[in-house]
Amino acid sequence: MDTIFDIYLLEALINGLLFGGVLALLSLGLNLIFGVVDVVWICYAEVVMFGMYAIFWLHGVYDLPIVLAALLAIIGTGAMGFLVHFLVISPILGSAPINQLLATGGLLFFLQSFATLLWGIEFRNIGLRLPVLQWGELFFSYARLLAFGIAVIGMAAIYLFLTRTYMGTAIRAISQDREIMTLMGVDSRKVYLVTSVVGGSLAGLAASLLVLQYDVHPFVGLSFGPITFVICVMGGLGNMVGGFIAAFILSEVISIGGFYAELEWGYVAAFVLFIIVMFIRPEGILGKKS
Amino acid sequence: MFSSHLKRASFGLAAAGILAAASIGAQAQQKEIKIGVIYDYTGPLAAGGSSLQALGAKIVIDYFNSQGGVEGYKINAIYADAQSKPDVAINEAVRLIEQENVDMLLGFYSSAQCVPVSAKVDALKKFMWITTCISPAVLKDRNLKYVFRAQPHGGLFGLQSPEFLAHYAKDRLGIEPGDLKVAIIHEDGAYGSGVAGGNKAGAKQQGFKVVLKEGYSATAPDLSSLVTKLKRARPDVILHTGYNPDITLFLRQARELGLRFKALVGHGAGYGVPDKLFDAFGKDANHIFNVDPVSIWLVSPEVLEPGLPDITRMVGEQYRKAEPDTKEFSAHVGMAASNSYVFFSDVLPRAIKKYGGIDADSLRQAALETDIPVGGTLMGYGVKFNPPEHEMAGQNDRASPVIVQYIDNKAHIVWPKALQSLDPVLPLPKDSPYAK
Repeated sequence: MDTIFDIYLLEALINGLLFGGVLALLSLGLNLIFGVVDVVWICYAEVVMFGMYAIFWLHGVYDLPIVLAALLAIIGTGAMGFLVHFLVISPILGSAPINQLLATGGLLFFLQSFATLLWGIEFRNIGLRLPVLQWGELFFSYARLLAFGIAVIGMAAIYLFLTRTYMGTAIRAISQDREIMTLMGVDSRKVYLVTSVVGGSLAGLAASLLVLQYDVHPFVGLSFGPITFVICVMGGLGNMVGGFIAAFILSEVISIGGFYAELEWGYVAAFVLFIIVMFIRPEGILGKKS
Repeated sequence: MFSSHLKRASFGLAAAGILAAASIGAQAQQKEIKIGVIYDYTGPLAAGGSSLQALGAKIVIDYFNSQGGVEGYKINAIYADAQSKPDVAINEAVRLIEQENVDMLLGFYSSAQCVPVSAKVDALKKFMWITTCISPAVLKDRNLKYVFRAQPHGGLFGLQSPEFLAHYAKDRLGIEPGDLKVAIIHEDGAYGSGVAGGNKAGAKQQGFKVVLKEGYSATAPDLSSLVTKLKRARPDVILHTGYNPDITLFLRQARELGLRFKALVGHGAGYGVPDKLFDAFGKDANHIFNVDPVSIWLVSPEVLEPGLPDITRMVGEQYRKAEPDTKEFSAHVGMAASNSYVFFSDVLPRAIKKYGGIDADSLRQAALETDIPVGGTLMGYGVKFNPPEHEMAGQNDRASPVIVQYIDNKAHIVWPKALQSLDPVLPLPKDSPYAK
């Protein structure tokens, strides 16, 4: 037990990996939207929160099967993605980036307050207790394993969508040069809308997995919003593979740091690493130099 | 001619009389004490217990108003939302004092808010009546003149659990107190740190081995490293202080990662809302202990002064009316109700009658003279504030928390022995997923 490498360190490593899955899934949608629409949805975690509420009501209260509830939540947050783009982003697409940031920031407070108004401040959970997975001395979180698996599948699916479909190709083309594609007859508004819907749906997917592990309340986004944003920036805003890598690096630093020192030091180490990366590569790990 | 003059004069006189009477009446009607009531109605702390505390205070304020106020003063309460943020709490306190011209402030759930707000309010020479926040740091060595707290302080919370464990260690756990391994984990704000400080001092007093003591942020999205470290440290008992989302996250991850212990003792806040614990964990929440001021509904009416059991009943009825879905009454509502009741039934009348007003100095003088014996409050404990030269001036010296154990969403008092309504179930029964 006094050796540096012990079974608990292995557990911390695995925990970090699985937590990375959760963070990677969260960063996927945010990165996609930024990569294409070039607007940062500061309120992304709040869209996830609405997805979590949807599952809570559909499964926890109206007793729909969890998978169906999750599917409906994904459709719901997809629709929300559409609305956010149509009502908030679209009118300010040409404005200065700071205005766009302020608008989505304002939307964050609006969504938090709106959720408080609709559902109150109660912490709610679906009361689902998943089985415990044990392998010798090691224990795994079922929900996290699921999140990890789905994050990997989600990443692969998005990759295939972007490389193998016409719409995916259009999305990539727009993200490379938005002006020229419009001249070539691509309807950029449609591409933006599709991207926002896909991004919103990914928030719903993340919500389906988070709701298995976390209580839902109007401020649940505060626990995830900042770290998701940091991951996206560290990976290279708009770069999904970069975000994926950054998610796992940060989660391991948090987990191992928190294992060797106090939990909070894990976060300190993660943010110090973030600052260092920003100094060395301001565009992020895989970001393109602008 | 003369008679018409006389008539006119008498008419004028009568009118003046009526006007004067009306103005006196109006003055009598306008006599009011304006109180700023600050709790968290939104944000994570709201569901952690703050909104229930706010409800308790409001029930008591409404009750006194329905009885015609206090000594002719109507209570004009202005409710403000601290939004679970210390900076908002400070801004709201200053706004209420400077713009709304309130005579005093009442409330405060979060210690992180209490610490800065109490200093600010004291500097502004306004009276502040704390119903809830427990951190010793609010009053300790600060020599505040106008801040009073009827609630027991966090240091006592922290000391209570080791005392309880030392009593039962050998008998129930088969471990000598000197060999008992405890872990102290806490949210790292003023509240958690204050209680954990008491835990540490108590553990030292009782000779326990503290195998881990660690703080974490209440909004941390992951506590699995902490759980892993606890597994490695193998404590017999975990002493935990936290709010709500972090407590459920911890218990969920502890279960998933196979953390085992013989007992878990919570210290208020999130652990004070059993409905939430049982919603999230069902039977797994059974046998958790919680250190908190006693729930007024668990206090035996016989030990209270006459009249007080009726108030307890009234608070329960109003609580049920406001929150019809409540299964088990939360101690939070009763706590704020009891501590507010002390102010309106004891301090305020004395300030008005003996010191002639509701200014901060009159209220302070009245509070310093408070001398309520055991059984004189809804929570059963007495009230006597530490004098100005005391290191914790303004703290109620007669308050202490109790320990309850939850079984099937019912709270039973297990400590101190004098108030015990259940022989504590210790260690955790084998059917608990956390049982060692």
